[in-house]
Amino acid sequence: MGAWAFYITTLLVYFAVDVLSAFSLNLQFGYAGVVNFGFIVFQAAGAYAAAVVVLGPSGGVASFQQYVFGARLPFPLDLLVAAAAGALLSFVVGLFALRRMRRDYQAAVLLIVSLIALQVVSADVPLFNGSNGLTGVTWPFGEFFGATATGQPWLYLIYSLVICAVVCGGVWWLSRSPWGRSLRAMRDHEDAASAMGLNITSLRLQVFVLGGAVAGLSGGLLVEYIGAWSPGAWGYAETFVIFTAIFVGGVGNYRGVMIGTLLVPIIFLEIPRFLPAIGYPGLTDSLEWVVVGLAWMLCLLFRPRGILPERRLRAPRAEGVALDPAPAEGGA
Amino acid sequence: MAGQLAVDASSSPETPAVGSPPVLVAKGVGVGYGGVRAVDDVSISISKGEVVGIIGPNGAGKSSLLGALGGQVKRTQGVITLGDRDISSLMPHDRARLGLVRTFQTTSEFARMTVYENLVTAAEGDRGASLRSVVLHPRQTAQRELELRARAWSIMERFEMTHTADLYGRELSGGQRRLVEIMRCLMRHPRVLLLDEPMVGVAPHLTGKLIDDLRGIAQEGLGILIVEHALEVVRKLCDRVVVMAFGKVIAAGEFEEVVRDPVVQAAYLS
Amino acid sequence: MLAQLISSAADGVVVAAILAVAAMGFTLQFSLTNVLNLSFGAVMTIGGFTAYLANLAGLNAWLGLVLGAVAGAVATVLLGRGVLRLYARRHTQLFEMMMVTLGMSLVIDYGIQAISQNAIYGYTVLQAAPIRLGPIDVTPIQVAIIGMAVVLLVAVEAGLHLTKLGKALRATAVEPSLARSCGIQTGRVVLITWVVSGALCGLAGVVYIISTQSVDYTTGELFLPLVIAAAILGGVGSLRGAVAASLVMGLVTEIVAGFGGAAYSTVAGFAILVVVLLLRPGAVFGGAEDRQLVL
Ligand SMILES: Nc1ncnc2c1ncn2[C@@H]1O[C@H](COP(=O)(O)OP(=O)(O)O)[C@@H](O)[C@H]1O
Ligand SMILES: [Mg+2]
Repeated sequence: MGAWAFYITTLLVYFAVDVLSAFSLNLQFGYAGVVNFGFIVFQAAGAYAAAVVVLGPSGGVASFQQYVFGARLPFPLDLLVAAAAGALLSFVVGLFALRRMRRDYQAAVLLIVSLIALQVVSADVPLFNGSNGLTGVTWPFGEFFGATATGQPWLYLIYSLVICAVVCGGVWWLSRSPWGRSLRAMRDHEDAASAMGLNITSLRLQVFVLGGAVAGLSGGLLVEYIGAWSPGAWGYAETFVIFTAIFVGGVGNYRGVMIGTLLVPIIFLEIPRFLPAIGYPGLTDSLEWVVVGLAWMLCLLFRPRGILPERRLRAPRAEGVALDPAPAEGGA
Repeated sequence: MAGQLAVDASSSPETPAVGSPPVLVAKGVGVGYGGVRAVDDVSISISKGEVVGIIGPNGAGKSSLLGALGGQVKRTQGVITLGDRDISSLMPHDRARLGLVRTFQTTSEFARMTVYENLVTAAEGDRGASLRSVVLHPRQTAQRELELRARAWSIMERFEMTHTADLYGRELSGGQRRLVEIMRCLMRHPRVLLLDEPMVGVAPHLTGKLIDDLRGIAQEGLGILIVEHALEVVRKLCDRVVVMAFGKVIAAGEFEEVVRDPVVQAAYLS
Repeated sequence: MLAQLISSAADGVVVAAILAVAAMGFTLQFSLTNVLNLSFGAVMTIGGFTAYLANLAGLNAWLGLVLGAVAGAVATVLLGRGVLRLYARRHTQLFEMMMVTLGMSLVIDYGIQAISQNAIYGYTVLQAAPIRLGPIDVTPIQVAIIGMAVVLLVAVEAGLHLTKLGKALRATAVEPSLARSCGIQTGRVVLITWVVSGALCGLAGVVYIISTQSVDYTTGELFLPLVIAAAILGGVGSLRGAVAASLVMGLVTEIVAGFGGAAYSTVAGFAILVVVLLLRPGAVFGGAEDRQLVL
């Protein structure tokens, strides 16, 4: 396969992973109003879990990398473990971070979780192999199609697109369900929602854990493709790429979110590859992050409704009720 | 049937009965914010079919009392019973599920949901919208959705709000927001309704209709506790009036005798 | 065992002193403006790099300390006056303000990463042979840092309670609209607060890198969790609370580190906040729902 085809395939796998992330964040942020500034941690947890269950038993201190609970699980157990890891960590974090408090405190607590997680992982060698991370992660179809995912990128692409479509479809369906509607009520007015009988604590934890599961799954999908897991790649800033994508595409609108994902983490972050290299290696990466930060700030300044804003759902008419002329979209 | 509102099967329409057992009872309720005692040893009871008004100057503790009853504000002392159940330490949503619902002083419509969605969401708080029932019992969920749809439309018709069904909460006028809050409460088949200044923002020529509506709702067997500033409204609407000042009940009884009470007049003038 | 505990505790007091300087600055600006300023860590890094550059230029290390504080103050004023004001004019909510400060933090952090070529720079100044006091080894600079924290606490407290400006600041923090109608120029109060808290922030950045002996673009960001935790734990707006919370955090982190859990020392500090959150959320987060933006 040519270099170009490989490149495009890789981008599309990333796209599938990012769409999963963006859907998960949009469910939490766009629907439930939970500002998960620690999103990347749950994705990283899923990735780590997937890595250790496909790497095989750990060789212990003597081997070149250390980790816990090595195993060699077949598909789909690896991804289920990844999702479970994301969900479990979300649950634990959610137990304290989702307590009733000012929203900015809540966001700060989640950001702190993500800053601290990075420190712990980098420093704890027996558990996470320190800042070197793990390498040699294979993909679940090794015996059938070849040793690594990168050896069979087309297959892996189809595999990840199918998973992405199924999971995202599920997230979309849940968002449109009465449960998703309850989430929006909670987002709009917490006190009123609980005064109407919604259990806010439980709803928030549900959406946090569900989103965490999707995040973990997406992490697993990613790590099996790139074959390596290193803490440096899961910095707190990664979360904000996805947030920016959601802002650009349209908060609360999944089609918009997909477009935003295509524009921000894929097209925008890939453009520098085609520009002549400047400065020392790594300079463009740093500058990219600066631009992401600026884009984020511009989004907040101009508060765009995104390319496709959240859509108004028209009320289904009950039988025997006269139809009034529908109001104009986006009135008042 | 338009204009007819089904309330609990147990609470068939009846005239406000003097001496019928109270449905909501609060005994010795206190609320404190730091050192401030916003509500101090307040006792109050509401019977089925009865409209009780709370009046009092600003900062008297009326909203705090409603908060303590609804569970939004932490109570420092006292016991609250709904029917024969002690609800003092229940979470707000559990109180709502037992039939105690409320509106807020600053309107609390779901701003980015349509009026229709506001109504339907309110009704399915208990079981209908749980993740488990949505995933495991899609058919029941769909069935319930149909029931709620019919109920939502009939309530909107009763309040002449069908034309706003597709408007977002944030697109409504102040008065319409008040109506949405009340309609939302009614979606839940409440036993007791707590209203915090529901007439604020309602156009003057519509208050008469709202008073009639609320009286009609009470006739169907609800207890209503209403905080209201306009004495004219209180006079027309309430069976009994409770006057609060500085966190305490300073008078209670029929409107006419209460407003003539020198203590009350002093509290209002000071 | 006991000796280890005592020497860890001594280290803890040093960390607490650094933390206290930062937490005082954080709580001061937070209580006044109500903006949870996540760019605080980035400004600390600016302070640190300023001192590093000053040292590189051959300036005295104590002068570096002053320059770091100045840099922190200037950066904070620019961000507060230049950037946040822009958003306030467009009626940005408190919560979105916090997101804005996060964007600023991204821009500054990675801007510094770009300029600093993503490298770690050693900063060994003011180091001297430790003095032995029983089981404790302290260096003179550590003593100086602790002394500085105490002096700053007294100075800022005195400024808040004894000067006219301090009184204006406290009035504005409690009831901005009332303060304004009493003739207090809240704009000026906010400006002074940016200057003072920014200086504390920059200073904290410098003493932090003196103590860790290196600086890179993540310096402030990695310290930020403890600063926020200490400020929140101390009760927002209370300087003494922030200092007391810093002391607790400093002791806990260093004792955990001293007993072999270096990777988990920050976690341990954060865990205190989590425990408080779980046990008494009201004590930490109560009643601040309807605060308004003051810029
Ligand atoms: N969240 C709060 N924190 C602190 N004090 C409050 C709070 N809410 C109300 N108060 C105080 O409690 C007292 C009663 O307020 P409230 O119940 O709103 O009175 P009312 O509704 O009768 O005007 C007032 O003095 C008010 O300042
Ligand atoms: Mg009130």
